[in-house]
Order: sequence, then C-alpha cells, then structure tokens
Amino acid sequence: MLRKIWEHRADYAYVLPAIAVMLVVIAYPIYYTIDLSFFNTPPGLQLRDKTFVGFNNYTTILTSAVFWKVTWNTLIWTVGSTVISFVLGFAAALALHRDFFGRGVLRAILIIPWVISAVAASYIWKWIYHSDFGIIGAVLVGLGLADRPPNFIDSVSTVLPSLIVVNIWREFPFAMIMMMAGLQTVPDQLLRAAKVDGANAWQRFWHVTFPHLSNVSTVTILLLAVANFNSFIIPWIMTGGGPSNASHIWITHIYELAFGRQRWGVASAYSVLLFIILMTLGYFYVRALSGNDRRDEGA
Amino acid sequence: MTRFTLGGAVLRGTVSTALIASLMSAPALAAPPVDLSKWSPEYVRSIAGTQDFDTAADCAKVTPLDYKGRLTFWYQGVFEGDPDLLRQYYKDFFETFRKTYPNIQLEEQALTYNDLLDKFRTALLGNAAPMAVRLQILGGTEFASKGYLQPLKPEDVGYSADDFWPGAMKAVTWDGVTYGIPTNNETMAFIWNADIFKRAGLDPDKAPATWDDVVKYSKQIHDKLGIAGYGLVARKNAGNTPYRFMPQLWAYGGGVFDEATANPTYQQIELDSPQSKAALQASYDMYVRDKSVPVSALTNQQADNQPLFLAGQLGMMISHPSDYNVMLDLQKKATGTDKDKAQTVIDNMRYGLIPTGPDGKRAVVFGGSNIHILKPEYVEGGKVDEPAAKAIICMWSSPEWSLKMAYAGSNPGNLNGFKTKWMKERLDSIKFLDVTTSMLPYGIPFPALPQSPEIMNIIIPDMLQNALTGAMTVDQAADDAAKKVKDLMGGL
Repeated sequence: MLRKIWEHRADYAYVLPAIAVMLVVIAYPIYYTIDLSFFNTPPGLQLRDKTFVGFNNYTTILTSAVFWKVTWNTLIWTVGSTVISFVLGFAAALALHRDFFGRGVLRAILIIPWVISAVAASYIWKWIYHSDFGIIGAVLVGLGLADRPPNFIDSVSTVLPSLIVVNIWREFPFAMIMMMAGLQTVPDQLLRAAKVDGANAWQRFWHVTFPHLSNVSTVTILLLAVANFNSFIIPWIMTGGGPSNASHIWITHIYELAFGRQRWGVASAYSVLLFIILMTLGYFYVRALSGNDRRDEGA
Repeated sequence: MTRFTLGGAVLRGTVSTALIASLMSAPALAAPPVDLSKWSPEYVRSIAGTQDFDTAADCAKVTPLDYKGRLTFWYQGVFEGDPDLLRQYYKDFFETFRKTYPNIQLEEQALTYNDLLDKFRTALLGNAAPMAVRLQILGGTEFASKGYLQPLKPEDVGYSADDFWPGAMKAVTWDGVTYGIPTNNETMAFIWNADIFKRAGLDPDKAPATWDDVVKYSKQIHDKLGIAGYGLVARKNAGNTPYRFMPQLWAYGGGVFDEATANPTYQQIELDSPQSKAALQASYDMYVRDKSVPVSALTNQQADNQPLFLAGQLGMMISHPSDYNVMLDLQKKATGTDKDKAQTVIDNMRYGLIPTGPDGKRAVVFGGSNIHILKPEYVEGGKVDEPAAKAIICMWSSPEWSLKMAYAGSNPGNLNGFKTKWMKERLDSIKFLDVTTSMLPYGIPFPALPQSPEIMNIIIPDMLQNALTGAMTVDQAADDAAKKVKDLMGGL
C-alpha cells in the first residue's frame, strides 16, 4: 500500500491542498458539532460553560412533539418539492427537446426563476401571496371568484403547500436543464430504429428514452432532495417557520434553536441527525454517479 | 399562575435592581437635570431650549480630540420603517464624529433591529465582536450576564446616572454593575385615522379609551367599511410584536412576570394568569372572531402596516411619533390619485394615549437602545481601543446627539437633551410629539433578565400565533407560553 502511495505521490501532492482546506472548513466543524451535541448550553451562560450531558440532547429531541412536527414538515417539503419539480422539469425538457418556433426564447424564460436570487424571489412571492393585498387575492376578488383574498401564508393548513409551490417554481428549471442535457445523449438511431419497428411515441419514450435517462434522473432527484432538505431561504424569509411552527423544517428549526434561542447543544444534535440523513442521500448520489462511470467504461 | 424558584443569578439581578433604584432616589446624589415628577407636555415645553451644550468640548474631557486610534462599532441602525429624516441624522452623526475625532479610524456597521442580536451572538462565539456596540434595550442584560461586556457607567463618559431615565439605567445594570449607557428611550402612542372613524360612525377626535373599546372599534370599522380596524402585529422574531402586545398585556393586569409593578422581583410567572389570558383573548377576538385586523398580522411587521394605513385600509395602530414623518415620506413617493388619497389620510392622522385596561391601567413599553464596550477577549484582534470607544459613546449619548439621533422616532436617552434648542425645534416640527412624551411616565421596561430576548422575540409571538391560528385555545397558548418561560428560567 505504501508503495502504491509512493508511486502516486504526485497525485496526492496535487490533492493535498484541497484536503487541507477541507479538513479546516469541513472536518473540524463536523467534529465540533458532534462534540457540542453532547453538551447542555444554557441560554444564560457562555458556550465555554457548557456541561456534558451525554445523549440527553438526542433523547430530548426524539421525545419532543416539535421534532415530529418539524420532521413531518421536512418530509412533505422535501418529497413534495423534489417529486413535483422533477416531473415538471422533465415534462418541460421533453417539450423543449422538440424543434419549434420560439423554443430558445421559451427556454430562456423558463430558466429565469432558477437564476433569480432566492432572497428576492422570497420577497416577491411574499407580496404575491399577501393575505390582505396580494396580487393573487386581488385578481380573485376582482374576478368575483372569492369574497376575500385567500389566506396562503398566514394559515397553518395552507402555509407549507404555498411555500412548496414557490420552491417548485424556483427549482424545476434546474431539473429541466439536467433532463435536457440527458435527452441530448439519447441515441437518435435507437429512436429511429424503434420507429421503424412500429413503436408509437409513448412506446419510444417508455422503452428507449426513459431507460436511457435513468442515471441522470437519479442524480437530478438526489441533488434536488439534498438541496430541499437543506433549503433555508424561502421558508425563513417568507414565514420564519410560522405561523405556529407550521412551516418550520429542520434547517429553519435548527437555525432558530441555535441563533435565536442559543440552544447550541440541541441544535448541534439536530444537525448531526441531519448530517446522517444527508450523508445517506450523498452515498446514493455517489453510487449513482459511479454507476454512470462504470456504464460509460463498459460502453 | 406558576411559581418557581429562581436561581441566584436572577436574585442577584433583583437585588442589584433594587439597590440601583434606591441609589437613584438617594438625596446624597446630585439632582437629576429634569424633574420627572412634573413630567407633562407643558413641562417638556418649558424646559426645551433652556440650556446650551458644547458636545465636542464635553467629549474632549473624556477622550482628547487629537486622540489617535481605531474603533470597530456595530449599531442598530435605521430600517425600512424609519423616516428619511432619521437617515440624514445618522449620516450627519458619523460625519461629525469623523470631523471631531479626525485621528480615530472608525469602522462602523449598521444592522437592523431583527438581525443585530443573531449576528452579534454569532460574532461573540467566534471572538469576532466589534469593540463597541449599540444594542436594543432588550439585549444588554443578556450579554452583561454572560460576561461579554465591560463595566461602563455614565461617569466613565462624562455624565451622571441621574442624566438618564431610571428605567433605562435598570436595563443596563446586572448584578449591581452598570454595563452601558442609554442612547435613546421612547414610548409609543396610539394612532388613528379620523376620517375612517367618522365613516364608521365613531367619534373622529376620540381615541378608544380602553382595549375593550379597541376590539369594539376594530369590529365596527371592519363591519361598516370592510377594511382592517386595528393593526395587530404577531410576527415572530420581530421587535414590533412585543412592543404592541405588551402594553395590552399589562393594561389587562397581566405580564410575563411582575415587571409592571413598581419593584419587580421576576419571581412569579404571570403569563397564564386570568388577566394575561384576557389580553390574549382580546387579540383572538379581533383576529379570529371578528376578523377585523389584517389577516397578514402573523407575517407582517409595523413597516407593512404603514402603507396599509396610508392607503386608508387600516383604522388604528400603535407606533412612534415618527410614523407621521414616514407617512409624509411615503406620500411623496405616491403618484396620481394615490398622492391625494395619502394626503387625506395624513390630514386625518390623530395621535392619542394608548388605551387602558378594564381597571384603568395604562401601560406602554419603555423602549430604547444602549451602547456598550466589549471585553478584549471577545473582540476581533483581541484589543479594545477604550478611549476611541468612549469618544463615540460620549458623543452619541450627549444631550445634542442623543436627541438628534432620536429626532423623529424616539426621545433622548440623556435627559439634558430635553433642554436643548433642538428639542424646542423638534416640538414645533414633529407633530404629535407631545403625545408620545406624555406616554413616557407609563413606560414599563422589559424584564431586566438575560432571558428577555427569547421571551419577547420568540415565546410571546409563539403564544399569539398558537392562539390566533387555532393551533391551541387561548388558555392552552397562555399555559404553554408560561411553561416555556418556566423552563427557560430553569436553564432548559
């Protein structure tokens, strides 16, 4: 093994600076967060006055009602945003894969939500949704379709779906771009051969195009899922996790626990749990990429 | 009600508060520059413009004007809800400071009310705090109790404790030690649109006398005109929420603890008392039962109520005297017929005392800001330039600048500010200033406890949101909030 390392010493030397930086900015914070998760950090004391409490923070989290509520919200947020963004993005990619007049303009327009800053988008949507004088409410009342503006983000039952819509609006272009790139790699001769063999449009899609996109689909879904699990800006700016914690997802809850309430220990324990989940997703992401590489090598 | 045993820290805080209070009234100390027992709009007018102050000369005694140094400074600055007038005064202050102390390299950073605490706490964890900081009145005790701040009393920057409001001095005192200087202190007032009142069949020149009246008026305005009656604010992590709900809570006889009494001990949690629940019920009645307040109250702050008010879509709200100037600024930006509509609202803008509770109790938050110096070990670079820090503190808390920096929205922290010529000018130019200065004697400071920011910024808004969204009943929401305060005080 040492001989192998020596043989590849130049390669190791090239990656060494990157590894050193990662150790400082990634490995140490991870270690510190794990360490902190075993301590009680009362809000009235400095962090250095923390006391060791073992797994207490983890049991506190797992037995609290808020944890299950926030976890449920996170699941709805992540699954809802990921699945719908992917389906819409895929559909848009298929539509834009055909050649038609204005395709370039339409593609540029559809990418706009993705390039707009998430902060700006959050404020814009906050005003669109505004429960008293939002644009949607004004249009609905103006058309006589509602007596008063609908309550989008000030109601515990509608706030999360409303935020998911914003998130989908912002990230479906990403799925669209990924799938459009994938569609470019589907061999044209296979599609033509299938057509010659009498396959209709749906059969060509299902038996030729879709299987060919399985890897890029997996990667896209995993990237969306990780991004959504970590998504902070939209829920924090639009509602701050409210009303009544109805739109708190893990990441906003962790932020509030740490920076708003200074429960660094509990927030760290939450972060460790989140880290484990994300690492699991990351594992599948890497596996999907490795699968791609192996297939490419096989070809 | 919930009883609990507080730790030694709180006990020390109480003892220190009592000690300071007694010292404030001790005849051995010099007399205060103004007679607070005579406080009234007439008295304020009588003292305005009676004394001249030379700020540069006064501050030169603290830090020589040719002093060479470097200062990092964060402060709670102007935000979207402030008038342009205030922006100009902030600009003027820093220009004047640089001219007065040309050899002090000042690196200042403005942060909004809602962002400052989070950023400051984070910087402290990384020992990357500024040398001096101006915090909201709510924040000082938290950082003093944790040992981040240096002892700093008015005498250190050329003033006396008597030069400041006793309530403001309580907010900068922890464990018997003073850790900061008040820069400005204020109480808000009740604002209404006389035209809306008239059209809703209410007396246009009379503010609602009680909070029960506010509920009734709000419903009447909504039912008759189809617009929001009262500008309720229940957003989380926004200073606007406690500033508007606490006066209501105290007026009904409730409180978080006994902070509304003359000598608070903070030993008994009152959030689940029948009086506190009655105050919460009033908000519930307006939001849920009558639907007479903005639906967006849960995500809004006062800056969102201002355009609603100017558009004639809101009948009543609680705010600073500066809201009149804000309306003028907003009106200037309006176009076409909106400009005329806005002018009609401004012409019909009225200010009055904040309503009382059922027993005639009137209360308002005694707000403001304080300025502090950090200990070197928490500061970026590990050094604090004390003379430079004291120079800016002396200047900001001087009679001149503590008035100018609070020109439209607040009042000078330094009581001598009321004697300056700028106060006289302000009384003539800032409409309704009399009303807000009249509210000062009713001012109640937030509990001088390190836990106050979490109570006011998170627990109280959570209680409101839990009740108003129907996630909990009024009783459950109040009980839940009381339990959270109890846990918090117990160190959980």
